[in-house]
Amino acid sequence: MKKAVLYINQFFAGIGGEEKADHAPEIREGVMGPGLALKASLKNAEITHTIICGDNFMGSNTEEAIEIIGGFLEDIEFDIFFAGPAFQAGRYGVACGTICKYVEEKFGVSTITSMNDENPGVEMFKKDTYIFPGGKSAAAMRQDTKKMAALGDRILAGEKRFLAEEEGFFPRGIRHQVWREDGLIAADRAVDMLIKKMAGEEFVSELPIPKLDRVPIAPPVMDLSKATIAIVTSGGIVPIDNPDKIQSSSATRWGRYSIAGLDRLESGVYKTIHGGYDPTVADANPNVVVPLDVLRVYEKEGKIGKLHDYFYATVGTGTSEAEASKMAGEMIPFLKEAGVDAIIQVST
Amino acid sequence: MRLELGNFFVNKVTFGEVTGFSNGTLTINKEEAIAFVKEDEHITECDIMIANPGDETRIVPVKEAIEPRAKVDSKAAAFPGVTGDLSQAGIGRTNALKGCSVLAVGKHWGSFGDGLIDMSGEGAKYTLFSQLINICLVADTDEEFERHSQQKKNKAIRWAAHRLAEYLAKAVENQDPDEMEVLELGSISKRGSQVEELPSVVYIMQPQSQMEEKGYNDLLYGWDLNQFLPTLVHPNEVLDGAMIGGSYMCCSSKFSTYDFQNNPTIKRLYREHGKTVNFLGVIMSNLNVSLEQKERAIYFVAKLASMIGADGAIIAEEGYGNPDADFIGCISALEDLGIKTVGMTNECTGRDGRSQPLVTLDEKADAIVSCGNVSDVVELPAMKTVIGELEALSRDGMSGGWSSDEKLGPSVRPDGSIIMENDSMFCGDQICGSSPKQVREF
Repeated sequence: MKKAVLYINQFFAGIGGEEKADHAPEIREGVMGPGLALKASLKNAEITHTIICGDNFMGSNTEEAIEIIGGFLEDIEFDIFFAGPAFQAGRYGVACGTICKYVEEKFGVSTITSMNDENPGVEMFKKDTYIFPGGKSAAAMRQDTKKMAALGDRILAGEKRFLAEEEGFFPRGIRHQVWREDGLIAADRAVDMLIKKMAGEEFVSELPIPKLDRVPIAPPVMDLSKATIAIVTSGGIVPIDNPDKIQSSSATRWGRYSIAGLDRLESGVYKTIHGGYDPTVADANPNVVVPLDVLRVYEKEGKIGKLHDYFYATVGTGTSEAEASKMAGEMIPFLKEAGVDAIIQVST
Repeated sequence: MRLELGNFFVNKVTFGEVTGFSNGTLTINKEEAIAFVKEDEHITECDIMIANPGDETRIVPVKEAIEPRAKVDSKAAAFPGVTGDLSQAGIGRTNALKGCSVLAVGKHWGSFGDGLIDMSGEGAKYTLFSQLINICLVADTDEEFERHSQQKKNKAIRWAAHRLAEYLAKAVENQDPDEMEVLELGSISKRGSQVEELPSVVYIMQPQSQMEEKGYNDLLYGWDLNQFLPTLVHPNEVLDGAMIGGSYMCCSSKFSTYDFQNNPTIKRLYREHGKTVNFLGVIMSNLNVSLEQKERAIYFVAKLASMIGADGAIIAEEGYGNPDADFIGCISALEDLGIKTVGMTNECTGRDGRSQPLVTLDEKADAIVSCGNVSDVVELPAMKTVIGELEALSRDGMSGGWSSDEKLGPSVRPDGSIIMENDSMFCGDQICGSSPKQVREF
């Protein structure tokens, strides 16, 4: 019999509600809470362990939580990993997504969770794990775990590729070619689609274009000589030891580093950890990505009022829009507090 | 314009004394055919081999495919500007040997845009050409200047294949075809109210023209499409040898000459004409590299479509990557003019399927038919027979092959099995319209 592990939060483990949300990760043998519903549907594996973690602990001490849970998992054998269902609980959804993404990457094991489509965890993690659209509350427990178990059983049976539309999980942005069962050729699909489109009837594009979230261009800075300027880069320039452990691609973390009193970024003190371009030039002269050297000259010449005391860095390659806007939301309070008037974003 | 296609259905190809067609069998006098091919002094070595559907045969590197065609009762060339002098394509009568194709196969050397065909097994489903009887012209040439280049013009062998295709079809010159297919489409402005009341549709083709140097790009009457502005073309011209496939684009995205000659989108629009749509014709565009050239072509396409009164358009792109800008740009320009547009393309989503499918996207491109994914990895067992040279897939920079890969090893393994990207399946994504494939979310 294959083995499954289930991740749940402190509430569904019966430990407590908000007051216990700081509960540190623990692992227990056997099944409890939502695991009983999952067990009832899951045919091809036994749930051998349940991992419990408080939602706030996962949210506030993510790295520590992941490290502890990773340690638990290294000591046991498992073939599949479930989390939740998280329903509409936002922090729980994000926690389920976080741990599923980690387990899939670290252990190469398929992960499955479920949450309501309004749960922010969906947008953040649908590309990283199988997430089924779930109910709003625990009333949907049986049906939500049933869907998770059904996919789990098929994965455990050795099936590898699943069509999002047919199975019902949120599309993961993974696209592959398939041979249509009806054998309908592209010419016929195109002409049929056009006839419908011209008649104003419904049609389904085979390549849905994601809705673009456009940000209007900011008005120009009226007087640069009085403006405070900051540098924000997705080019991955960091202090040589990468203190914030920013990932080389698909980044979820960022850092701010003081440049007070510095006239330039020295090679060997700063480097790029960006995985998407040849680092040779940026490592030899980090100022080509974070143009501190020329901005100090501008500052002295009075072309700009002042350079903000920190630069902000993350990695842009493979980073999802959702993560990027989350990181921007975290940076903005620092920039506002320092009275920054304009930002230079250097492309790479 | 009226074109009569005299179709001869070939269900067997064999070698024999006299080149001719009888009871579904095409017989080729091999020595004579080879002697004819070798009239071109640039062909240094040449053989003709037959590959039938179901054979345990792998053909690689394949450079071009052509349906054998010859004009009847006329001195006109089947491929004007290529196998003979210029003449008007798309009129009169043309004989066609259906169910077979002449393949231009490198005896040794492959290039970036060459492809692979498996005649049976799992690999057969990746290309339409596994379903045809392939008359393989396996040749080497004296084109030393490009012997070890990744990009090759492959001119001698491609032209040899066009000439051989015409040579074979001439064998049925005095015979009655199995079927007469009449393709007739009159003046756009004089179709009568019944037809003109139907929604008007134009078909737009974007054939490859990215190479600045002549000799690699698709041709229209022998004219390189890089130095070209979009123009109105009669659908019969496309079906009757005016368009010649190029020697540049990654192979699964490529339009071979066979694909132009048998374009299923044109055929379907012909069938709908007068019933559900008023088929206006074809706008032939191109796919140049620089932004200014792209924009110029887009303006011309949109303007032409608007001038001829198109209500709707279908646009097909030969390629992916850089040409996605022309494709999406054109759709956007047409939609801005109120012309409802459907795009036909393939995608490049990376081996893990997670990359953005086209390099540029636009919400106006809300109706796309997606014919394949260049990056899907294909692993296939060895075949009993190889026509050409298998090592070309690993050695010669074919777009979907590689000489080494940290995880996957070389494309060609010592036991003859292969691993490659769909990118090099010969004309595998069939953006001209015969693709039974679709890209979906997993």
